[in-house]
Amino acid sequence: MTTLIILSALGLVVLFSEIFGYKKIVLPFIFAGLVAALAASFIDWNIGKHYLNEMMIVDNYSIAFTVLMIAITIVWFIISPGFFRDQGSRVDHFALIIFALIGAQLLTSFGNMIMLFLAVEILSIPMYILAGSNKSNLASNEAALKYFLMGAFATGFLLFGIALIYGQTGSFNLQQISEALTTQQDGGGVMAVAGVLLIMVGLFFKVSAAPFHFWAPDVYTGAPTEITAFMSTVVKTAAFAGFFRLFATCFSASASIWVNTIMVVSALTIIVGNITAVYQTSFKRMLAYSSIAHAGYMLMAIISLNGYAQQSILFYAVAYSVSSIAAFGILLAVSHITKNDDVASFNGLAKKNPLLAFVTLLAMLSLAGIPPMAGFFAKYYIFTAALQQHYTWLVLIAVLGSLIGVFYYFRVIIALFKNENSAAEIPMTGIYKAALLFISLVALVFGIMPGLLAGLL
Amino acid sequence: MENQHLPSDFFPIVLQFIVAAGFVVTTMVATHILGPKRKSKIKLETFECGIESQGNARVPFSIKYFLVAILFVLFDVEVIFMYPWAVNFKSLGINGIIEMFIFMVLFLTGFMYIIKKGALKWE
Repeated sequence: MTTLIILSALGLVVLFSEIFGYKKIVLPFIFAGLVAALAASFIDWNIGKHYLNEMMIVDNYSIAFTVLMIAITIVWFIISPGFFRDQGSRVDHFALIIFALIGAQLLTSFGNMIMLFLAVEILSIPMYILAGSNKSNLASNEAALKYFLMGAFATGFLLFGIALIYGQTGSFNLQQISEALTTQQDGGGVMAVAGVLLIMVGLFFKVSAAPFHFWAPDVYTGAPTEITAFMSTVVKTAAFAGFFRLFATCFSASASIWVNTIMVVSALTIIVGNITAVYQTSFKRMLAYSSIAHAGYMLMAIISLNGYAQQSILFYAVAYSVSSIAAFGILLAVSHITKNDDVASFNGLAKKNPLLAFVTLLAMLSLAGIPPMAGFFAKYYIFTAALQQHYTWLVLIAVLGSLIGVFYYFRVIIALFKNENSAAEIPMTGIYKAALLFISLVALVFGIMPGLLAGLL
Repeated sequence: MENQHLPSDFFPIVLQFIVAAGFVVTTMVATHILGPKRKSKIKLETFECGIESQGNARVPFSIKYFLVAILFVLFDVEVIFMYPWAVNFKSLGINGIIEMFIFMVLFLTGFMYIIKKGALKWE
C-alpha cells in the first residue's frame, strides 16, 4: 500500500515537472522515488495484509512481483536516457510509465474483481498512449490504434466474464467467489463456465497468447523500441501475475472448466510463437514473437496447480524480464547507430564492442534456455511443475519449441561473431554499460544459484 | 448466502431482451408498411433541424472542439461522485471529508494540468 502511494505521488510530481519548471531534476527524482517504492514494498514481507475491505491483498507473491517490476522499471529509466529528448512532452511520457507501473502493481495484488478490472485499465491506458508516442511515425500510430482497439475489445470480454461470475456467485470478492464456486453444485453451472471462459479470453488477449496474439507483433514492432521494452517486460509480467493469481487461486476449485483450454492454448502459443520467430529478419519483431512464445511457457505454470507453480512462474518472470530488457537495451544502443532493427545490424559486433556483444550473448543464451543462465532453470522449473501433473505431451511440445527457439536466438549470436562489415564502436555512457552488465550478470547469477530465488515463495 | 439461482430465474432478463429487440423490429417494420411513401428531392435531403444542409459532412475540423468536449465529460462525471457524498455527508463523518478532499485535490491537479498545458486555449 505504501508502495502504491509513493508511486502515485511520484507520478503526479513527474507530471507537473514541466509546468512548474523542475524538468531538469526530474530524472534523479524518479530514481529516488522508485528506490523508495522498492524499499517500501518489503514492509509487508512475510506479514500478508488486506487493505480496503480486501480490495488489495498484499502477500509474498505480490511483493515479489512488485519488486521485480519496480526493479525492471529502474533499469528501463537507465537504458532509455535519450527517450524523446527532442519532444516537448518527454516528462508526460515518464509520468505515463509510472502510472502504468501503478496498474502493474495493482494487478499483482488485487483481491477483488473490480480491482482486477481497474488494474488492467490503469496498466493498459498509458500503454495505448505510449505505443503511439512517436507521433510522426506512421507505424507507431498504427500500433497505438491497433493496441487500443484490441485492448478495448479484450476488456469487454473481461467485463462480461466478471459480470457472469458476479451473477452466479453474488460477489466480487475473490475469496467469496472461490467459496461459492466450491460449494455450489456442478461448480456453478453454465454461468460460471461462461464467465470463467470469457475472463480467460480477455486475459489471453492481454498476455498475447495464440490465437489472440495477432496484435502483438505489429504493436511491438510499431511502438518506439523503449516502449516495446517496457511492454514486453513489465506489462507482460504484470499480466501473468494477475492471470496466475486469479486462476490458480480463485478459480482453482473449478479447474476442470479451464485447464484443458489453457493447455491447448499454451501448446498453440509455443508452436506459433517459435515457428514464426524463425522467419523474422528484424530483431525487434523476432523478440515480439519470442515474447509470444514465452507467454506459452508461462501459461504452463498456470495449469500446474501445485506448490511448484507459484515459484516457477516467479522464476520464469524474473529470468524472462531480465534477459528481455537486456536484449532491448542492446537493440536501443545498436539501432541508435545503424538506424534499423535488423538482426544484420549485429554483424561483427564482437570486434569493436566486446561488452555489448557479451551482454547480447548472455541475454540470448538466457532467452534460449541454455544451462548457465537463469532462462534454463526457469524452463526447468516450469517443466517440472507441469510434469508433476502428467502433462507429458505439453512438456514435449514445449521442449521442441525451445529447440526451435535456440535456432533463432543463436542466429543473433552467430551474427555477433561474423567477420564482415563490423559495426563502428557504439558510444555509451558509463551508467548505461553498468546497467546492461548488471542485468545480464543477474541472469547469470540466478542461473548458477537458482536457489536464491526458487525458495522465496 | 442464498446463491442457488436456477437458470430459469434469469428468464425475465431473456424476456427483456426479446421485448427490447422485438420493439425495435416491430416499429421499424410497422413504419415501413404503414407510412406513406412520398419521394421528392426535398424529402430525401438530410434533415438538419430544419436548416438547409450545406456541403459534405466528412471534412476535417478542429480537434479543439473534441478536447473541450471530452474534458467537459470527464469533469462532469467526476462531479457526480460528489452526490453520494453529499447525501451521506453526516454518516460518513470526518473520514468522508478527508477522503473526498483527497479526491478533490487530485481532481483539481488534473484541472490545473490541462489549463497549464493549454488544452483549453482556443487559438
